[in-house]
Amino acid sequence: MNADWNDNPAWVVPVPNDEDREYWEGAGRGELRIQRCRDCGLHQHYPRAVCSHCGGDAIEFVTASGLGTIYSFTVIRKNGIPPFRDRLPFVVAAVDLEETGARILASMPNLAPQDARIGGRVRAAFRPVGDTLGFVDFEAIE
Amino acid sequence: MASRSERRNVCVVGVGHADGPHATGRQPYQLIAQGFGRALADAGLTKDRVDGLASAGHTGMHEVAVAEYLGLRPAWLDSTSCGGSSFEFHAHHAYRAIEAGDVDVVAICYGSNQLTANGRTLGTGGAGPRGMQPPGPMKYEFPTGLTLVGAYAMAARRHMHEFGTTPEQLASISVQMREHAARNPSAMYRDPITVDDVLASPLIADPLHKLDCCVISDGGCCVLLAAEEIATDLRWSSNPVFVRGASGGTTHHSIQGMNDMTRTAAAEAGRRAFAAAGIRPADVDVFCSYDSFTYTVLVMLEDLGFAPKGEGGAFVADGNLRLGGALPTNPDGGGLSCTHPGMRGLFLIAEATRQLRHDAGDSQVRDAAVAVCNGSGGWLSTQGTVVLGTEAR
Repeated sequence: MNADWNDNPAWVVPVPNDEDREYWEGAGRGELRIQRCRDCGLHQHYPRAVCSHCGGDAIEFVTASGLGTIYSFTVIRKNGIPPFRDRLPFVVAAVDLEETGARILASMPNLAPQDARIGGRVRAAFRPVGDTLGFVDFEAIE
Repeated sequence: MASRSERRNVCVVGVGHADGPHATGRQPYQLIAQGFGRALADAGLTKDRVDGLASAGHTGMHEVAVAEYLGLRPAWLDSTSCGGSSFEFHAHHAYRAIEAGDVDVVAICYGSNQLTANGRTLGTGGAGPRGMQPPGPMKYEFPTGLTLVGAYAMAARRHMHEFGTTPEQLASISVQMREHAARNPSAMYRDPITVDDVLASPLIADPLHKLDCCVISDGGCCVLLAAEEIATDLRWSSNPVFVRGASGGTTHHSIQGMNDMTRTAAAEAGRRAFAAAGIRPADVDVFCSYDSFTYTVLVMLEDLGFAPKGEGGAFVADGNLRLGGALPTNPDGGGLSCTHPGMRGLFLIAEATRQLRHDAGDSQVRDAAVAVCNGSGGWLSTQGTVVLGTEAR
């Protein structure tokens, strides 16, 4: 990973609120915290007050395995905003988590663009930001 | 005003374009006023007849500010703001309000100095949200470094994976739009391009190249809708253009919420709009497709039923989008070559109207009688379909 990935100017540092603090602080601890619906059993990312699948409100946070599969990806080759413009090119993937119902969008700082493929197995990796928070990245499983 | 029991036919009575694609020095409201004035002149209407106003911008109460700026006191407002498709939603809502007798004449307005203000940065970060927290789901997407182009690219990549769609097929869409732009003196880029040119242009976000992306321009547009009983006294009364049906839909906001990246809400919106209009895909003479990116066109062709799902690539590569092809698409050159001032949805309705009036000069689709406009907003997030025709339903 390029050192630039740990250089996060103020405008990309998340400002947690009561609804999503668990997600950002979980990532700071090295845990991928997603939500599970006790009514329908499906999962979702990002935190919400309702289940986006069944509409119920019996929502609980659970720690995901961090394992998933690339549903699709792109290689960002142009982005005018720092710090991203200093990281080019990089892969961004939509990852379907092992926990049914949850998809997460994440950067893959350690994956060479030519090695990215749909269906590839990936695992969460955590990148600290601020004092207690974290970003959830993904890396390829060999 | 009509009684509640009778449904009135609704016509497009006026179209006006502001200066573009380069309008350096003009502010967005100036461009809106220019388009509005030209649409009134095109219709043969005065502004005191306008009792409804729709507009989409990027600030709260935008449409109210437009009303004051233009000196209007409308009884009906619509500020639906769902990106590039906003104006198809406005047309849908205005059509129903006029049909019902709530309002007689609605102006749909848009203006942007996107190019002058922000340069060619819209899809790749732009000025960026520096200093503010991204709203809603974007809070999770923004830190990944994904761009607007990247979101579409991810969807295109999935389509290639599932159906074998190729970069060459996507590129052929740009090539055909450029052929159309070559016939249009007001298009931004008019020099012919080849599939190889598209593939040789820099990748912005794989698999989308620079020439898979729409232009960034300044511009503005206004479309006036009115009840048929008013239209019969106006300038284009001998070539009326009717709204035959419309619908809209949404599947997600951020691209992470698009469960199936190969299917958009155009499938449902199109089905409803076509049913309301009493048409089938085979009846369509002109397709005005939002073409923010080549993939936008491809997925829309499939979702609206012009090509079976997964066969859009072969459909476009066969040249069907050309003037004279099976489905002439964006005869003005589209967003890919003609103009795209931030949001393009209103320009689709303007071009469809020009075609159905048989007033399109070298760009005319012969005997055009039915046109479909499909706007796409966000990241394939919202889809609005409007069916226009030379006959009322």
